[in-house]
Amino acid sequence: MGNIIETKNLSKSFHDPVEFQALKNINVSIKQGEFAAIVGSSGSGKSTLLYVLSTLDTDYTGHIFFDGDDLSLKSKNDLAEIRNEKIGFVFQFHYLLPEFTVLENVCLPALKLAKYSEAEIRERAYQKLDLLGLRDQALKKANKLSGGQQQRVAIARALINDPKIIFGDEPTGNLDSKNSQNVFEIFKELKEQFNQSIVVVTHDMNFAERTDRIITLSDGEVVSQ
Amino acid sequence: MIQKTPVIRIALTHLLAKKRQTIVAMLGVTFGIAIFIFQAGLMSGFQAYFIDETVNTTANIRIYNEAEKNRKSILAKRDTASNKWIVVQNQKPKDELNKVKNGYQIIAALEKDPRVSGVSPFLGSQAIFKVGIAQIAGRVSGVDIIKENILFDVSKNMRQGDITKLQTIPNGIILGDGLADLLGAKMHDNISITSPLGVTLEMKIVGINHSGLTEVDKSRAYINIRNAQKLLKVDGSYITDINIKLKDFNQAEALAKFYHQKFGFKTVDWKEANASVFSVFKIQNMVTYLIIASILIVSGFGIFNILMMIIYEKMPDIAILKAIGYKDIDIKKIFLTESLIIGVLGGLLGLIIGFLMQKIVGSIRMDIKGFVSMEYLRFNTSPGFYLFAYIFGLVATSIAGYIPARKAAKMDAIDIIRSK
Repeated sequence: MGNIIETKNLSKSFHDPVEFQALKNINVSIKQGEFAAIVGSSGSGKSTLLYVLSTLDTDYTGHIFFDGDDLSLKSKNDLAEIRNEKIGFVFQFHYLLPEFTVLENVCLPALKLAKYSEAEIRERAYQKLDLLGLRDQALKKANKLSGGQQQRVAIARALINDPKIIFGDEPTGNLDSKNSQNVFEIFKELKEQFNQSIVVVTHDMNFAERTDRIITLSDGEVVSQ
Repeated sequence: MIQKTPVIRIALTHLLAKKRQTIVAMLGVTFGIAIFIFQAGLMSGFQAYFIDETVNTTANIRIYNEAEKNRKSILAKRDTASNKWIVVQNQKPKDELNKVKNGYQIIAALEKDPRVSGVSPFLGSQAIFKVGIAQIAGRVSGVDIIKENILFDVSKNMRQGDITKLQTIPNGIILGDGLADLLGAKMHDNISITSPLGVTLEMKIVGINHSGLTEVDKSRAYINIRNAQKLLKVDGSYITDINIKLKDFNQAEALAKFYHQKFGFKTVDWKEANASVFSVFKIQNMVTYLIIASILIVSGFGIFNILMMIIYEKMPDIAILKAIGYKDIDIKKIFLTESLIIGVLGGLLGLIIGFLMQKIVGSIRMDIKGFVSMEYLRFNTSPGFYLFAYIFGLVATSIAGYIPARKAAKMDAIDIIRSK
């Protein structure tokens, strides 16, 4: 089992309003099929690390190897393609397009990838929705769903292109305990059934303790992993 | 339901979410294009009409002779030694005729030129028109009416009578309608004309003519060139002008120079002859297009405004689209598409409204009598003009849309996610 992500001396500084080093010499690796949680107090740099790992933030020093490629050598457009094909995102706020149906939202990344025909994409979207128990909601407008349902739609959307890894930024931060539990079970199942790599930033220790591995950050440094 | 490129779907969704503002932005474009079609259409329609009338009443090229002014005194010509001063005071212009020498031979030569479609001799004079005690100063044009008709389509503008009568009736005269009104003269009336040399001829009105150019119609009469020669007491070969009609009137300028060199007389082409009018047109056009440009700038701001509103409202959409792999250019396309939808639809509506405005105003009888006289306003209705207006509108909306689109494309997904 190889590393899906590996960092070498990863550092990041903010310059505005004052010089502030958010990440200091971080060397972590995530294995294929690993379900990891990044924890730390607020301001510890855990979200920053996630954005850097997930290619959204390119303002860093050091190296990130994603699936063997050095990300620091990639252009903005290359990174967009990598995100599209190999990365799935689940955010604290669900970020669905509110005027689109559930099905359309799930299809969006696949339509961009354009690897499959439209009919196939729709078929795959239904499969993912099935997996999350949302098939009957497929044709509803996204903003008509409850928060927990919306988060599951976001997970379905993250899965549509069969990504190498799913990043979650406080995916349960906005959910009640029942729905949080639900999301955790889904992640767990994805990991167990499909060997899906998942990295989640969370401050919910209850959630973190049940993952395979906890990476703890403090003041931009990894204190335990 | 789902399109292969969700760009258009997303763009439409954004616009539909802001229906009222979208419609206002669209109406801005509609208004701009409609004014464009109406205003510029009126201007260019009028100018085309005027040029048409001018081309019909001004020769493409006129050949004429001009009395030499400031000529050297005969002494100066004789004695060229440089160490002498010769001053002749109170020198009068030479008493020479403004005659185009060998005029009829030149006409014969021109008629063989393949680029020429008609040549007409002309002898003009000032004249006093008299009917009873009514006296009007004007001009008589001595012409060969058949040839003149080839150049200026005189018969088309005849209100009454027939141009051939000028040939068949020895003392026939065709009056401009304004002139006839001023004199109170009617068809078949007798009228006397007196030249500056004091020669008076009794004429019979055989036609009333309306050229459309008000000044001309108030002062001009056609007579046979023989009668004009009688008025001026000159022989039968005497003509002052040769008017030429070309197959392609755009060649006038070049050919005017050519004929000047070939025959040695002064030549003037129709554009030069009407230079003052064309400079007025230039200013007119400038003002018109300035007004239209400012209207389109205002509607451009409308589009700019609504797109900025949409962008700020839909920042989460932009963030998520970027996170799931949409490139900057895709985001730019979404917002450019939105401005183009506004431009395309608003523009089409503008074309329709502009067309209707042209039709409605164009059907109102105006009876304008000024510079030119026309019964109805004339508009430029050519498809090319409509197309030009449309493209002009689309370019304006694209520019207005490009700036917000670029801004949206440059937005940082992380900043948006963090700020939530």
